[in-house]
Amino acid sequence: MKRHSKASTYTARSCSKALAVILCAVCFCSAALAQGGELRFCLRSEPKTFDPLKVDDDASGAIRYLTGGVLIRENRQTQQLEPELALSWKVSKDGRQISFRLRSGIFFSDGTPFSAEDVAYTIQQLMDPALHSPTGDTFRSGIGSVETKVISATQVSIRFPAPVAGLDRLFDQVAILSEHSLKKEMAVLGPFMVADYKAGSSIILRRNPYYWKTDAQGRKLPYLDSIHLDIQPNRDVELLRFKRGEIDLINSLDSEYFDKLSATSPQVVHDAGPSLDSEQLWFNQAAKSPIPGYKKNWFRSTAFRRAISEAINRDDLSRVVYHGHAQPAFGPVSPANKFWFDNNLKPQTYDPETALNTLQNDGFRIENGTLKDKDGNSVVFSIITNAGNKARERMAVLIQDDLQKIGIHVNVVTLDFPSLIERMTQTFDYEAILLGLTNVDLDPNGEMNVWLSSSENHQWNPSQKVPETTWEAEMDRLMRAQASASDPNKRKEAFDRVQEIVAEQQPFIFLINKNALSAVSTSIHGAAPVILSPQTYWNAEWLTVAGK
Amino acid sequence: MHSLKRKIAAHLALVAAIVLIGGFLSATLVRLAPGFDSDERELDPRLNAESVQALRDSRRQSDNIFRFYFHYMILAAHGDLGQSLALGQPVRTLLRDRAPLTARLIAIGLSLAWAFSLTLALSAAWLRLSIYDTATTILSGFFLCMPAAVLALLSVLWNAPGSLVIALIVFPGTYRYTRNVLLKAYYQPHILAARARGVGEARILFWHVIPVIMPQLLALGGVSVSMAIGAAIPVEALCGLAGIGQLAWQSAMARDLPLLVNITVLVTLVTLLANSSADVIGAVIRGQEV
Repeated sequence: MKRHSKASTYTARSCSKALAVILCAVCFCSAALAQGGELRFCLRSEPKTFDPLKVDDDASGAIRYLTGGVLIRENRQTQQLEPELALSWKVSKDGRQISFRLRSGIFFSDGTPFSAEDVAYTIQQLMDPALHSPTGDTFRSGIGSVETKVISATQVSIRFPAPVAGLDRLFDQVAILSEHSLKKEMAVLGPFMVADYKAGSSIILRRNPYYWKTDAQGRKLPYLDSIHLDIQPNRDVELLRFKRGEIDLINSLDSEYFDKLSATSPQVVHDAGPSLDSEQLWFNQAAKSPIPGYKKNWFRSTAFRRAISEAINRDDLSRVVYHGHAQPAFGPVSPANKFWFDNNLKPQTYDPETALNTLQNDGFRIENGTLKDKDGNSVVFSIITNAGNKARERMAVLIQDDLQKIGIHVNVVTLDFPSLIERMTQTFDYEAILLGLTNVDLDPNGEMNVWLSSSENHQWNPSQKVPETTWEAEMDRLMRAQASASDPNKRKEAFDRVQEIVAEQQPFIFLINKNALSAVSTSIHGAAPVILSPQTYWNAEWLTVAGK
Repeated sequence: MHSLKRKIAAHLALVAAIVLIGGFLSATLVRLAPGFDSDERELDPRLNAESVQALRDSRRQSDNIFRFYFHYMILAAHGDLGQSLALGQPVRTLLRDRAPLTARLIAIGLSLAWAFSLTLALSAAWLRLSIYDTATTILSGFFLCMPAAVLALLSVLWNAPGSLVIALIVFPGTYRYTRNVLLKAYYQPHILAARARGVGEARILFWHVIPVIMPQLLALGGVSVSMAIGAAIPVEALCGLAGIGQLAWQSAMARDLPLLVNITVLVTLVTLLANSSADVIGAVIRGQEV
């Protein structure tokens, strides 16, 4: 019995030791999993700048996201605002002023302390009219200067000359600079800092040793030691490198590549659903365009535009061109934009017969299979799109086929991007354009310049001195009303009406919303791809590499 | 000696004139290209009217091509090559950062191409076997027919170095010419006589063949530099290599006038210097022979 007892004790001790060893191993492994390692992925172009205030391209935006510290961050998953460097903030009732209470004990990557003075300095730099920064321009809602008031080291208020709609959300794009650091924009408050840059080739970001965030166990973030960014414009090469395991993620995949990867490694691909990006077709309605007058009359006819919209089979576009990784678009706002999408909008149905009836009611008629207007002109027009974009080229061909069914002959023309932009913005020498809009902002205020008739980006008929149609006048009024209102529900009400006008008038014929497709290696833990940019590495500070 | 100096001076004057004219023609072509006046950033809905106008104004500075080029030459004389419109960086920095990669790529590519060519051509001349000649002709013909872009894509697929692609693009031209020149030299009566007397192959090659064909090979060397530079553009663009070739492609796509003019000037200069050097050295060799 004693022996048995001894044996039991021995066994128990052995078991405890084994358990302890296993526990230690598990702890060690989990610690190893949670710390260190390098994430590798590609940027598709060289960043134009490391100055976060001057960012106007995707690659620079990626660097800003990974290195910049912001006061408020829009959570890419929940689409809600979260405090970062600011503990709290308050927007005044008139929408002109925002006051921040800041965290204390925060340091830039070079050890310089962070204070309210840095916030004031950043805003003054950002709002310099000579900077011409897209981020700065989003804050410009009226003439006059921006006033910053440093109340204490942790309190600052900023007053704008006119109300700024969605003011707090705009701070997601404002990376705070140090006023006193000698390293200027290279001193950062984000999780990573630029450690090495080989022009045209690669950028290495290292963990910011002064980064302020910790996890629930008190461990310092980010978990990764570094991020290696290769500059790789060629998407085929990017895919090949991912397959070889040389890079860990692809932030934005084409549907064709998605399917290729999905066939061999379904565990690495992610379809997060419809993104904010849309593809649309529009007709040239500009009075100064050099196209024949009778064509201008067609393009200015609401019935004509509505008929074209009805005659396009969006389901086919999604199925054939995007292999099902796209959804027929409702209007200017993707259903992925949870707050701003108008749930009352009906999807555009594909109905060529109704389209033909609509055209016939508008004076068009079919003769020998060709649609003719009331003056006997055959309805023929060209759609231009950018060469090299396979998806758009295929969409144009499908649209050509759809419109042929109602007697309209479409010529598809592809142009390189600079030539297309020149026709679109300067010579206005085009009939219809098929292009996409990349939406980075959830708030419709970011698209103010698209909807205001006086704007240069009001693409179907830009720079109007006075609105040429009643519906454009109404859209101008509604957009201005939503921009000056502080109540989000009132803003939404106004913008819902804008969406309805767009659906009625079809100045842009919205076709599809592409899905947010990405690929993440199984060695990366913590990745949760979302629809908002940057889809895969939005939570880079929480990502870990297996085996590290 | 005096005539040689005069020849070098004449060559340098010609190079300078061609470089200046080449730069001007390049600037004119870019200025007249559709889409020159536009900038993709104009489509950013966040930009206000003033910022869009500022973007347009930055392009319109080069509306008058004569004024642009005159201004460019004055600044270039002071070491300022201007600012890239698309990349927003000084052109001098861009060229300085990327030139080493292209230089290395071209140097290795040319060395490999010449090594392949000379090895195969000498073997063909020594062996004089019709089956060997046919095989090498088919091989060089195959690479001659293969588009540079296809070779570049295959190199990406197989993870082969870009310099190898450049070598394979240059190789057919250099091989065919070298082989012909060598065979012609080996059929010269004095070489046939030397062989009949039992002179060693190495001695025949270094004493009797190479001195005869050297001026022609030097001229071919100059031409092969131009071929390699031309090949570097698709190779770098498709393989994602950050050299001058990739920069040339990007600047052409973006109608980046300051960058494109400088790249044209640089490429013209390198090509002409390579050809002129070959010409001058050939003249020296011919002079020594005389």
